[in-house]
Parts: sequence; structure tokens; C-alpha cells
Amino acid sequence: MWPFFRKPGESQLDDELRFHLEALIDEKIAAGIPPEEARRLAAIEFGGREQWKEELRDVHRIPLVESASANLKAALRFIRKSPSFAATLVVTLALGIGANSAVFSALDTILLRPLPFPHGDQLMALTQVSPKARNSTAPLAPVRLEDWNRMNSTFQAITGYYTEDVSETSGEVPEKLTRAWVAPRFFDVWGIAPALGHDFAPEDYRFPPLNNVIISDRLWRRRFGADPSAIGKRLRIEGYSFNIAGIMPASFRFPVRDVDLWTPTPLGAPYTTSRESTWYYAIGRLKPGVTLDQARADLETVQSRLAKQFPKTDAQWSPGMRPLKDITVGNVRPSLWILFGAVSVLLLIACTNIAALLVARNVQRQREIAVRYALGASRRAIVTQLLSEIFVLALAGSAAALLIAGAAAHMFQVVAKDLPRVQEISLNPRLALYTGVCALLTTLACGLFPAIHGTRRSLAGSLAESGRTQVSARNWLQWSLVSVQVALAVTLLVGSGLLLRTFQALGRVSPGFDPEHVLTLRISANWGETVDMKRLAQRVNRDLDVLRAIPGVEGAATSLALPGVPFQSAAELKVIEGAADPNRKIMAVSRFVSPGYFATMHIPVEAGEACRESSDEGAAVNRSFAEAYFAGHEVIGNHLQFVPVNPYWKASAIRGIVGNAREEGLEHEAGPVVYWCDNSPVPSPAFLVRTHGDPMALAETVRRKIHEIEPNRSVYEISPLTDHLHDVFAENRLRTFLLTFFALTAVALASMGLYGTLSYIVGERRREIGLRLALGALRNEVVTQFLLEGLRASLLGCLAGLALAAAFSRLLRSMLYGVTSSDGVTFAAVGLLVLFTATLASLLPALRAARVDPMQVLRQE
Amino acid sequence: MPPDKSDLLQGTLDMLILKIVALGPVHGYGISQRIRQISKDVLQVQQGSLYPALHRLEKRGWLKADWGESDNGRKAKFYSLSAKGRRQLAAEESNWNRLAEAVSVIMQTAQ
Repeated sequence: MWPFFRKPGESQLDDELRFHLEALIDEKIAAGIPPEEARRLAAIEFGGREQWKEELRDVHRIPLVESASANLKAALRFIRKSPSFAATLVVTLALGIGANSAVFSALDTILLRPLPFPHGDQLMALTQVSPKARNSTAPLAPVRLEDWNRMNSTFQAITGYYTEDVSETSGEVPEKLTRAWVAPRFFDVWGIAPALGHDFAPEDYRFPPLNNVIISDRLWRRRFGADPSAIGKRLRIEGYSFNIAGIMPASFRFPVRDVDLWTPTPLGAPYTTSRESTWYYAIGRLKPGVTLDQARADLETVQSRLAKQFPKTDAQWSPGMRPLKDITVGNVRPSLWILFGAVSVLLLIACTNIAALLVARNVQRQREIAVRYALGASRRAIVTQLLSEIFVLALAGSAAALLIAGAAAHMFQVVAKDLPRVQEISLNPRLALYTGVCALLTTLACGLFPAIHGTRRSLAGSLAESGRTQVSARNWLQWSLVSVQVALAVTLLVGSGLLLRTFQALGRVSPGFDPEHVLTLRISANWGETVDMKRLAQRVNRDLDVLRAIPGVEGAATSLALPGVPFQSAAELKVIEGAADPNRKIMAVSRFVSPGYFATMHIPVEAGEACRESSDEGAAVNRSFAEAYFAGHEVIGNHLQFVPVNPYWKASAIRGIVGNAREEGLEHEAGPVVYWCDNSPVPSPAFLVRTHGDPMALAETVRRKIHEIEPNRSVYEISPLTDHLHDVFAENRLRTFLLTFFALTAVALASMGLYGTLSYIVGERRREIGLRLALGALRNEVVTQFLLEGLRASLLGCLAGLALAAAFSRLLRSMLYGVTSSDGVTFAAVGLLVLFTATLASLLPALRAARVDPMQVLRQE
Repeated sequence: MPPDKSDLLQGTLDMLILKIVALGPVHGYGISQRIRQISKDVLQVQQGSLYPALHRLEKRGWLKADWGESDNGRKAKFYSLSAKGRRQLAAEESNWNRLAEAVSVIMQTAQ
């Protein structure tokens, strides 16, 4: 506020006054007085110059500043006079604003801010889409990507990438590294250049390849100790020697967080020429000022031209485009908004709590307010003073809140490390600004109403009263504030209750497979091996044999995807012999597993046989598939085929029926599933090893045994299957934990509010209680009376809260499993819990009321 | 203050300043001189009241101030009347006239 303090230039003031003094002296000299004497007389006549200057300065001071500093002084005095009251307010506000700022920091970073690339909002994720294809949305074929890049007019550039795990063998033991194959223009599109060395040159993208590689900051530090001379050194990747051309800055961790190196994909290599092999995840950078719709229309024109040119391969595809941020942020959006809603409700409760405290406080200060009125203060001045008291406290609260939010940023990175963009969350000026605005708004929200209410003239006429306040008539206000708090707390509690019940339901689910005592791992491999599928299958079988031979291992198998971890959506199939119901489209999830999978995962084979050990062909279906598509008809012996026909997958015979297993995530009923028998649909499938004891106890043995027969491959991602299942629910768990934490805090705040209000009322009515006791009222009647008063407000709040929850719990519907959004058990439990807590919170003040000593009270008269 | 000099009635100083300034741009010293001369030495404005009043009037927008040169070539701050000040002066004058009339009527009747 100080900048408002406008002074006329001090020198101008001096000039003006000096002129006057000199004019006086001239006048006296003109009257014949000697100069010395004239000067003395003039000075006397002129008087205390400094004193006037001060008066002149006063004229120019803005009253706001004056009153602000006076208000500040009053506020500090107020805090000094009642430190415990002030501390309660500060702590409540710090918690309320702190929780809010913490969640806001995550929300702001993850959802609101652009991606951390230059003009991050220009980055688009591109796909090819076909409603008819097996996977309706597919990555882009490399040739098509180059076509799009050449023919469009709305993108600065389009590029693509593909990541795979590779083995690097220049060190003592093979190390698994994550490699990104990149299309031309890759680093240009991101707008980030290597920190050391240089980007790939156009020659790098010609075939045969030059084998240059750009490595990540992480790998550079790990392998080369951040030595700049690493440029030009060599790495041995999948048997080929690569020259290190550049090192990316630490902040560049794309396409995946743990990427180690980038290699160029040479155009014209055999795997880039087919219009049907679609494997590039494409990213485009829009030209400045181009809208999403313009870009989409442009790509559609491009693709329709390609469709005319290549009708066989391109006619079915159309371009798909989404802002890269949407893809990155994914599905945490609803969770974050729900949490932000929850902490906002929490802040509202804190505000209501403080408002109730202030209403009580202002009643006690009625005399002070009356005196101020009597001394001529305006109502506005008094309200301003009351508000500035709260503002000072809110400021202190938000300073503490900022610390909490800063600590939370670190906590997020530990507890929620899988949250997208979590590493970007930090304490920043935006967060500080937000917290400051929160302080201002809470001041108004908590303070304005009590201040206006407490300064009504009718109340302030109480100077004449003896200082005893008769408050019973006004208690309704405080009780309604208590009810509001209880209602809001109940709403939050119902939300967290529903999420907890979801977890309970998930825990009860029988997955249909046994996830305990299963070790999972991967063995590095590259796509080059798919040239000889037979050899690949033999290699995987050899690895499986080695695993099975380890003592303590019960069985081993491979699977394209881990059971229980969501992986794929359903695709269309057809039964070659003809389906039971020809009009019904057959949709099923496909899983690719090795022989021994069902035995290893303890999935029962209910009919026929599931993947013969001897030959790697055929398929099995689950119970759900058999019931859905073959109701009553013979299942085994029919042949299944993908629609449209997949060149890599020939039709396979159904040889068995297995039990339903929830392999697409525990929260999903098992839908129709087809198990295709193939131990190596990809070069590095997941290995599943069933052990007798603790699976991790075998980790080292497994690593050593595999190393013995596969000296050039690395073994990585060794972990128990249960860990993967646990990780699937990490976000869910975090959300539930935080919401429950906020809800319990809300209940605690509301209970404090109830306790405080009732204590205050008991205190104010001691005289009345004493009188009644003296007149023969029983102590337990007094207890009951106050207990009921507290419970009545809580019950009203509780009912209102349950109604609110019933209206809003629908927002959670997509996050619930095994429980409806109007779950009776949750609502009843929350109601009981809140009423129980309310009884506890009311009991203490009520008992205190009964301990009033009538003699003592009456003596005070 | 000498007994032959009268105190200014509260609030009349502003009006007198406006009246003097209405005659043309003038500096603070000039204002005090003129008030003394015109009132034939009855009214003498203390500098301690004059300057705060001038600054207050300037801040209200009734006076405009410009730096200029005095008769003897010194730098001085000259005040002149703004349009707003002119309206204010008219209002105060009519108020004053009514008041003066009322007071004199009472004084005469009471005699």
C-alpha cells in the first residue's frame, strides 16, 4: 500500500516556503530594517517551518494508508491480546489453504500449464483411425507419416517415434536400455536441441544406417560420469556399434520418462516401406495460429488424396488428432478435479468454522465496538478494522500454507511418482499468487459476514448494558454455521466412504487366477529377431526350460501382457465354421500365451486342452466366450480368425475352454477372451515364473541362470506379479487416500466448530444455568439440554449433508466398483459416524455446564 | 495575536483564498499580503494555516498551481482558480452572504 503514499516533492515544498521567507525579508529591508535584523524578524514571524511542512505533508497523505497502518497496528494488538484465538485461526487457515494450494499445484501443473516444451500447445499426437480395423486407432505407418509431413499445409513438421527395450553390451554385463526409434525432424518438432554434440543430420535417415545415437542425460551421467568427452565414444546396441553424436538436456525425457537413447530410423529400411506396418507414434507441431479444426481438415484432405493414390492400403484410414497434453495427462483429470473440489469444500468448512468463532468473538467485543461508535467511528471504519485483523491472520496462515504446499510438491513426487508430469510440480510464483488470492478471498468469506453482523447499530447500543450479553436469541446464527460445517463434512465423508467401499469390493474379488508367488521378468530382445519367428520361438522355449529347471520353480510361461494389468480392447473375430448366431458380431479380447500359461497362473482348464506342449498353435477360449457365442453348441474344433484378416495371424482351432479370469483388470468382469497359443508374439514377452516361496528370493538365481545361456541379453523388470497388480491401482489408491484424509480433516474441523460453539454458549449462559441449578434443576437435565442443542444442529447438518451427497455422489460414479453411488451402507455409516463424533464433541461442554457452581455465579451478581 | 487583529472564522479562510486567487494568479506570500492590505491589517493569515489550506484546495481541484517567476525574478509557485474552484467560490459567497445577513439581523434586533 505504500506506493499510494504520494508526496509532493520535498524540494518543491522547500522552494515554496523559502520564497515566502525571502519575500518577508525583502519587505522588512524595504521598510528600512538592517538585513541581519530583518532576517531574524522574518524568521520569527515565519515560525516553525518543519512543523508546517509536516502539516503540509499531512494534506497529501491518502487516508487509506493512514487507516491501513492504524488497522494493522490494531490487528497486531488484537493478536497480542488473544494469542490462542489467533493461533487457532492461523492453524485452521494454514491447513485449509495449504491443502487447497497443494492440490492446486498438482492441478495447475498437470492440467492447466502447457507441456514443458517451447509452445507446447502446438504439439499434437497423430494416429490413423479406421472404424473397420482390428484396432480402430493405430499408430502411423512410416511411409504414411512422410506423406503427411510432405503434403500438409498446417503443420510446421510431423515426426514419429517407437520405443523398445534393447540390450547394451559394451559394459561387463549387458544392460537393458530403452531406445526410441525416431523419424526425421524428431528434435525439431519438440523444439529442443542436444545440450552437447549435435542433432542427427539428414544422412542419418538414409539406408544403410550410419549408426549414430543421441543419449539421455541420465545415461550420460550413469555410464560416463557426465564427462563431455563421451561424444564420439561408442555403445554396442543389439550387436551393432553406435557412435554417440549428442547428449540431450536432463529436462528432455520424451517419449518415455526413462528413455536412454534415440536412434534414427533410416527411410527405405525394409521395416519402413510397407503402408501396412503401422508402428510410429506420430507427433506434429502446428504452425502458429492454426486451429485444431483447420489442422484436422487439412490432414483429412491429405489422407483422401492418399486414398485415391493407394486405394488398397489407404482408403480405410482417416487421420486422428488430439493435443499431446490430453494424451499425456490421460485419465487423471477427473481425479484431480474431484480432489480439488474436496479441498475447496475443506477450505469452505475452515472458513465457516472461523466465521463462527468470529461471530462469538464479536459478541464479546460488543462493548469495544460500542465505544468506538461512541467516539465517532463510522461503521465502515470498524468493519475495515475487523477485516484487517482477519487479513493479517490469513496472511500468516497462507505463508504457512505455502510451506505446506511446497512440502506437498515433494510428497507428490514420492507418493505419486507415476502421476504424469509429477516431476514438474514445484513451488512457483503462480502458486504463491494463488495462495495470496486464497488468503484474500478467505478473509472476505470468513470475515465480512461476522464483521457486518457484529457492527449492527442495534447491537452496538449496548454501551449502557452492564457488560453481560444476552445472547440466546442470536444463537441460531452460530448453530446454522455449525450445521453448514457438518453438512459439508458429511458430503466429503460420503465421497471417501464410497471410494473405500470400492477398494473393499476389489479386495473381495476372486480374480480367477492366482497372483501370489509369481515372479515376472523380461529378457531384452529386438524386433530384428521377428525375421525368423521359428528361431525366436525356440529361443523363448529355451529360456523357459532354463527357468523351469531352477529349484523352487513350479512352472514358467510367457504372455504378451501381464494378467490383471489392463492392456487391450476387444477386437472383432469370426468363426470360420459359422457362428451360432450369424447376426451377432463376435468381439473378444485377445491374449497371446505360451503352453503352460494356464498351469502357471492356476487358471482351470474346463474342457479340452489348452495349448499343447508339443506344438505352438491353436487357441483356447474362456467360459464367458463359450457362453456368449456358442450357447449350447460345440465349441471345441471350430476355427477363429481376425476380422479383417490379419496377415500375421492365421486361423486357429479352438482346442479348449478355460475358466474366467479377470486378466483385463480386477475391476472388470471377465468378458469373452481368446487365448492364442504363441510363446513369442513379440521378441520380449513377459515371463511368468511360479515359485514355491517368496518370488523375489529367486530373483538373483533367475538373473544368473539366464545370463549363463544368454550372455548378450539383459534381464530386467524383475518383480512379483502382485506388485504390478498393486501399481494398477496406484492412482486409485492415492485418490482414495487423499479424499479420506481430507474428509477426516473436515470432520475434525466440524467437530472443533461444534465444540467451540457449544463451549461458548455454555460460557455465556453460566448465569442462567447457575440460577436454574439454584432453583432446583437437576444437573443431568442441564447436560441433556446442551447435548440435545448440539445434536440438533449436527443432525440437521447431517441430513442436509446426506442430501447433498446423494445429489453429488454421481460425480464419482466412474470411479466406483462394486458399490452404487447411493450405497445405503456408506450413507448410514457416515451418518452414524458423524452423529457419534458430534455427541463426543458436545459432551464435554455439556458436562462443563453441569459443573457450574450456583453459589459462585450468583455471588458475581 | 495582537488584540486589534481578528481571528478568522473557521472555514472562511478557504473562501478568502479563493476570492483573492480569483483576481488573478498569485503566490502564497501575495495572498497573505493582499488579505492583510484589503482588510486594512485586521486580518492576518498565519503561514501555518495558509499553506496547508492552499495545498488542500489544490488537492480538491479548486486551485491550479504553476511555477513561475515573481516580480523580483525569484522562482515562486503561483495559484490560480480552476472552473471547479470558481463554482465553489460562488456557492461559498452566497452562503456567506446569507449568514452575514442573518447574523446582522439578529444583532440589530437584539439591540
